[in-house]
Amino acid sequence: MIRQCLAIMQRELFYMWRDRSLRNILLVGPVLALLLFAGVYSYQRIENISTAIVDLDRSSASRQVITDLKNSQNLQVVAYFDTFSQLEESIKRGEVIVGVVIPENYGKNIALQRQTKVAVFIDGMNIAYATNASSALLTVTRTLGAQVGIQTLIAKGIQVNQAQEAYQSIAFPEEAWFNPTTNYAYFLVLAFALNVWQQCCTLASCMTIIGENGRRSWYQIRTSGISLLKLFFCKSLVHIGILLLTVLPVYFLAFVVFKLPLACGWSSFLLFNLIFILAVHGLGTMMSSLSPNAVNASRYGMIIALPSFLFSGFTWPLQAMPQWLQHVVWIFPQTWFFQGVSFLTFKNPGWGFMSHYFLALGLMAVLFYSVAALRLMVSDFPHKG
Amino acid sequence: MGPVIRVTNLVQKIGRKLLFQGISFEVQSGECLGIFGTRGAGKTSLVHILAGVDRFKSGQVEILGFNIKKTEKFKRTLGLVTQESSLFRDMSVVENLDFIAALKKASRVAVRELIERFQLQEFLTKPVTSLDIGVLQRVSLACALLNQPKLLLLDEIIKDIDLFSRNLILKELEQFLAEGGTCVSTFSNFAFAQSFTKVAWLEGGEITIYDSEAAQEEWNRQEKYYAEQSGRLL
Repeated sequence: MIRQCLAIMQRELFYMWRDRSLRNILLVGPVLALLLFAGVYSYQRIENISTAIVDLDRSSASRQVITDLKNSQNLQVVAYFDTFSQLEESIKRGEVIVGVVIPENYGKNIALQRQTKVAVFIDGMNIAYATNASSALLTVTRTLGAQVGIQTLIAKGIQVNQAQEAYQSIAFPEEAWFNPTTNYAYFLVLAFALNVWQQCCTLASCMTIIGENGRRSWYQIRTSGISLLKLFFCKSLVHIGILLLTVLPVYFLAFVVFKLPLACGWSSFLLFNLIFILAVHGLGTMMSSLSPNAVNASRYGMIIALPSFLFSGFTWPLQAMPQWLQHVVWIFPQTWFFQGVSFLTFKNPGWGFMSHYFLALGLMAVLFYSVAALRLMVSDFPHKG
Repeated sequence: MGPVIRVTNLVQKIGRKLLFQGISFEVQSGECLGIFGTRGAGKTSLVHILAGVDRFKSGQVEILGFNIKKTEKFKRTLGLVTQESSLFRDMSVVENLDFIAALKKASRVAVRELIERFQLQEFLTKPVTSLDIGVLQRVSLACALLNQPKLLLLDEIIKDIDLFSRNLILKELEQFLAEGGTCVSTFSNFAFAQSFTKVAWLEGGEITIYDSEAAQEEWNRQEKYYAEQSGRLL
């Protein structure tokens, strides 16, 4: 019994190691993904958003607007144009993201306390860029509006301190919890790398059964009389161990080298990963049992693994999805995993909350393995009549 | 003692093709049954059914007294060599022998003994994918014999292989039979018909059992008949 199990496990280990493409995908893929994504998001925030100004007024007031824009933390004034059409052309060519047009008589209207408009244009082609540009502009315009308001009140004979108090009577201090600097690297790097890892896991798991009974060596196994339950149990133990090992370097780089946040302890985080591996390996094994050949198993795996990250609600919130889809996406282990990883790394909400995630993934594993076993019994166990 | 193999009214269908239309035969202990038929007659399918790796539509198959639809115990004393190599392609010769020995709960002593008997020493570390067909069949038969089977199922084991390997394999098969083993082997070249105790002729979904001399006569008769039909002179 033990000799058989050890032989199966050793053979599986050798098989995975000798399959160069599988080895490289599992060992290098997730780590490489983490390094690449860490490089991509190394600036952590979107700064120096290229901004162009059309100053049609050229007054001291308009120069004040330009100074405020230049002093903004995230905006970088890179061009000055004489006309709106020049600005429009520059935005079309992608040279600038933000365009500010200060109208004629801007200074005069401010001085006369008349309403005036400074037109602001943002290139909305890239949502991340546009959102950050909008946020940076809001800071500038809010400050500028307050300054002009205070000056207007002073011009009307109100004391300086009273005018300032009038504009500061309601404060809205912002405090971003869990990711105070709204760091993109904290939010995306680990999740993107884990997405690559989960795809590797799903695809590798899709070979569990068909990778064996789709080959001629299956005859050796079938005639040996070994219990298929024992065979696939031993194989799966190796797979699960390998899949867990392949994610460890990713976490070492993420949490130790790149200092990404890990609010919970290592043990509960790894346990959560183990439960996810069981669920996703179960899913792959089920797909494997339903597939007529290895190519189809890979296709089924791809169909699940590729979009599952988008469905998980990580990049696009579940609450912003149609109601029916919000329910559907929870059938994927990946949704529970990515949601759970977010909670555990940023918040650590405690066992009471996370137990649902552990339970759901555990139940999925049981369900998927059961379907796979049932399918094998129906289609591949010809001798139980 | 009952027959080693008892097949009763075996019906097998592959897709829409009726491969066996209720065939029945028995193989006694110590016999070597040769299964002959043209390509597509169902030789390999029959061997796979007897080995318990393919399901069948209806009928009953008993191996060593076990109904193979109800139990897999008969596999403990079964050896199979498939027509196309079913060894583990990612492994070397010795790794295949060790792994299959573990699957069959055979001892390491048996592995060493078979390496010597089949003269495999110089090939042990070679990947099985790099072996010539003769050596490959020697390894395959060695693997099949690891669990000291009472019944050997062989699918075209000596077809197109080198003379040294063929003689080595035939010597081991003779010894296996001399020690009381039973054998079922497919063949498509009638030159080997004399090697078998009986010949099961598969044709049109039916089976006819001949002793080896009668099988040879039937072969000669058919060859003459079809030569005349085609206008070819023998």
